[in-house]
Amino acid sequence: MINFNSTIIDQLINSFQQGEQKAFCINEIYYTYHQLSQRIQAIRYTLQQNPPLQTEVGLVANDDIDTYASILALWMEGYAYVPLHPLQPLERCLDICQQVGCETILDSSKTSRYTDFHIITTSLLVKKDFCPEYNKEISEETLTYILFTSGSTGKPKGVKISRRNIAAFAHAFDQTDIHLEATDRCLQCFDMTFDVSVQSYLMPLLHGACIYTIPHDQIKFSYVSGLMEDYQITFGAMAPSMVRMLKPYFDELYCESFRACILTAEASPLELIQAWHQRCIPKATLYNYYGPTEATIYCTSYKIPTENVKTHHGIIGIGKPFEGLEALIIDKNDQPVAQGETGEMLISGDQVTPGYWKNTTLDEQAFITLTLSGKRKRYYKTGDLCSIDAEGHIYYKGRKDTQVKINGYRIELGEIEYHVRQFYTESNAIVLAQEKEGNVQLYLFVEHTEEDPHNLIEALRQTLPQYMIPAEVIYQKKFPLNSNGKTDKNKLKTRIK
Amino acid sequence: MEREAIIKKLQSIIAEVVKLEKVELTEDSTANDVKGWDSLSHIAIIAQIEESFGIKFKLRELAKLKKVGSIIDLIIKKQE
Repeated sequence: MINFNSTIIDQLINSFQQGEQKAFCINEIYYTYHQLSQRIQAIRYTLQQNPPLQTEVGLVANDDIDTYASILALWMEGYAYVPLHPLQPLERCLDICQQVGCETILDSSKTSRYTDFHIITTSLLVKKDFCPEYNKEISEETLTYILFTSGSTGKPKGVKISRRNIAAFAHAFDQTDIHLEATDRCLQCFDMTFDVSVQSYLMPLLHGACIYTIPHDQIKFSYVSGLMEDYQITFGAMAPSMVRMLKPYFDELYCESFRACILTAEASPLELIQAWHQRCIPKATLYNYYGPTEATIYCTSYKIPTENVKTHHGIIGIGKPFEGLEALIIDKNDQPVAQGETGEMLISGDQVTPGYWKNTTLDEQAFITLTLSGKRKRYYKTGDLCSIDAEGHIYYKGRKDTQVKINGYRIELGEIEYHVRQFYTESNAIVLAQEKEGNVQLYLFVEHTEEDPHNLIEALRQTLPQYMIPAEVIYQKKFPLNSNGKTDKNKLKTRIK
Repeated sequence: MEREAIIKKLQSIIAEVVKLEKVELTEDSTANDVKGWDSLSHIAIIAQIEESFGIKFKLRELAKLKKVGSIIDLIIKKQE
């Protein structure tokens, strides 16, 4: 039976029984499953004594042992977490809290930057002996987390992930070719505001393995390489952009213990990934996993063979759907395309989110119910253009809209433009993404006379995370128009040096 | 090159990358003291330092480049 209690909580409790086995290595300090379960119990006790009024609870994503213990305690008690990144602007985090309406925030920081909330300082709670009893009556529809991603209208949008979604994900992940064991040493190199982090801590915990994290003040790719060699890492998911950052240093990194490496969050270029494999992790099997936040972390997987890799324009194919999911390619009229044709990919199944947080307009745009061969199903429209070959392998070919990815982060260019227009209220603004030396960079065009962009950048920093700040600001008194009377983006692009 | 001169050069490199008009650094400054100097911009900062001083850092050294003082130490060592 696949449900949250048996697939997730019972498995976790099983891992806690391992006592002295290591669960986490954070900042070079080990925490055993016994210690982790004691932290969880302390937080559960506090939640039971003083129950939050709302199921959705804010969680400051400090990435320490109390942050991870908080997630598991919240899940055992039937709550959901809303991660608030400590390095993102307070204004953005407050907007998220306000959208969700959460009144309780779990924060391990000694002094919290949140003032008008009920704060539980998790790092100060006294450890308690773990109690395996828990409330088994919580509905599968109850949420586990809400992740906010960039929204084209200027406000970040919340994706709701339910207990049913997570159970379906964990079950399907274990049906793929990667089988984690208690002896595995696993990387967690993703921000908690990004859903690959959930795979990176949850799957090792379910199998009693040890998780190695990257402290926020470290340079990620450099620290990861240190972990790989010093701790003989065996498994990890990473974004191709991190591999690209490591590329100039491939000769300085060699890790024979690495046995399974997932590439995810972005398109994976074959040449880069093969060089990574051959020069740094020669004993590993590599996998390309794909999935939008709305379909719970990953929904397709591809075991990358050493020869005859399936690619499209040098980008590695994304394989076949996870067990329990269906992938469908449709044309502009919502009709399935002929086999091999390109169209928008839809996903249906138990991993698909129940919807966006309090946003029926977005729900109407992003979900569609289709009746095909007599079966009515609800699909999520990914916005990704894909095709499927005769053997059922899926190929990613690009985006339908203006969403771009930088270092794995999903960015709606419209959200940046919205905030620029809040600054230059009289001016038009367009953000374009262009590749430069293999990395995507953001270029902001403002229809305005030339001036120093420092104040604008400063204002953007108040509301946007660093990865959304444009690399360059280009002023142009009048935007060029194309024959349709619209701003000619191709002409603007020629101004990028 | 004197430490004083290196700091001046670092100030202009970092200001340029993080898009601030001016950055004041001391030997004890860290990324946390400068707005916009985070793990993402750090990579661009390192690349700029390598280019303007004509040096190349090793992968393991990058992790040590969190304090201005240690950046200066490494630059001097590399230039010898």
